[in-house]
Amino acid sequence: MAITLKELLDAGAERLSLELIWGEGRLDREIEEKALNRPGLALTGFFQYFAQRRLQVFGLAEFTYLKSLSSEDRVARLREMFEKKVPGVIISRNRNPLPELRALAEEYETPLLRSAMITSHFINECTLILEELTAPHDRVQGTMLEIMGIGVLLQGQAGIGKSETALSLIGRGYSLVADDVTEMVRTGGRVMAFAHEMTRYHMEIRGVGIVHVPSLYGVSAIRRDAMLDIVINLHPYKNDADEERTGIQPDEIEVLGLKFPYYSLPVSPGRDMANIVEATALNYKLKLLGHDAAKELDEKIIGRFLRKAAK
Amino acid sequence: MMADKKTILREFKVLNKFGIHARPAALLVKAASKFSCEIFIGRAGEEVSAKSIMGLLTMEGHQGSRLVVRAIGEDAEAALVEIAELFEKKFFEE
Repeated sequence: MAITLKELLDAGAERLSLELIWGEGRLDREIEEKALNRPGLALTGFFQYFAQRRLQVFGLAEFTYLKSLSSEDRVARLREMFEKKVPGVIISRNRNPLPELRALAEEYETPLLRSAMITSHFINECTLILEELTAPHDRVQGTMLEIMGIGVLLQGQAGIGKSETALSLIGRGYSLVADDVTEMVRTGGRVMAFAHEMTRYHMEIRGVGIVHVPSLYGVSAIRRDAMLDIVINLHPYKNDADEERTGIQPDEIEVLGLKFPYYSLPVSPGRDMANIVEATALNYKLKLLGHDAAKELDEKIIGRFLRKAAK
Repeated sequence: MMADKKTILREFKVLNKFGIHARPAALLVKAASKFSCEIFIGRAGEEVSAKSIMGLLTMEGHQGSRLVVRAIGEDAEAALVEIAELFEKKFFEE
């Protein structure tokens, strides 16, 4: 999946401290290969193998080398690189572009950008952002919270009380990631959840309206993102519902191709859902630490029954 | 005036090897919870609600033990039919 330079700038200008030097109108260029290239070798004149579909990053090495060349050589090598229609050129360490570099960028209508970061950091961070932008993603209905390090997605029909439950949990010191609509992106073997930037850190509480969570509860009440660990579904209490009663084998749900434990919790008047969601998350954390209470009790019971039956 | 509530008693033997541990207890609770009648399970002098997992686990229903189920209410008969099936089919464990 190809992305454009504009998408990269929108997502990463701040994280990469990137600024555009030239090429406002050419930002629709596609970055065909989601990786970066340092064109050092190409600048020496070796173009037999040149990663021309990648963004080109000019660091200290490239700059020092270019400066060692005569003006004609410098222009010739740079021209050859621009001839290959690279998607963009990025200068690191906030260096001023050489006049030749800038002139050629304009001539070949290739965007020229600059970052304040040192080259290795820039490459690491930019690669991550390129990965994020092209990773499988989805927008799901649900409120995302972080409870003691456990990422919890709270789902359920409209009006069941997701936001109210989240508000109670925030009151207990846990953090909100997203209210009602959560963006999910797969990063390696995990799924990262975050809010759409438009509504980030806001919540809608029925009867109150839209509130800004950090203004009311402080910055510790919010998190920009969290890794998804469990999915909790709130559903109206039904007497014959097929609910989990032992917790020995929780159901699973698939999110972006990965499986997550899925707990369906019945809601009824007087049932403090925040309390129950908290217990679910903490019990999951306990399992992660290697202590599965339900399983251990069951093993103890079975062991005892087997001894009794044998007598 | 309310009609007298119907009470049914029936004894069952635990047949499955592992007895009434967590999974069978959950099956019993789910079956019992579908009915409006009151259901108790146990032995003489000690009874627990068949709608309580934690209660069932204290009944020590190991293989070979005998438990009495007592159902009180209109749908008591239907409830016992369902509970009987679980005992007879060894809680689908073997």
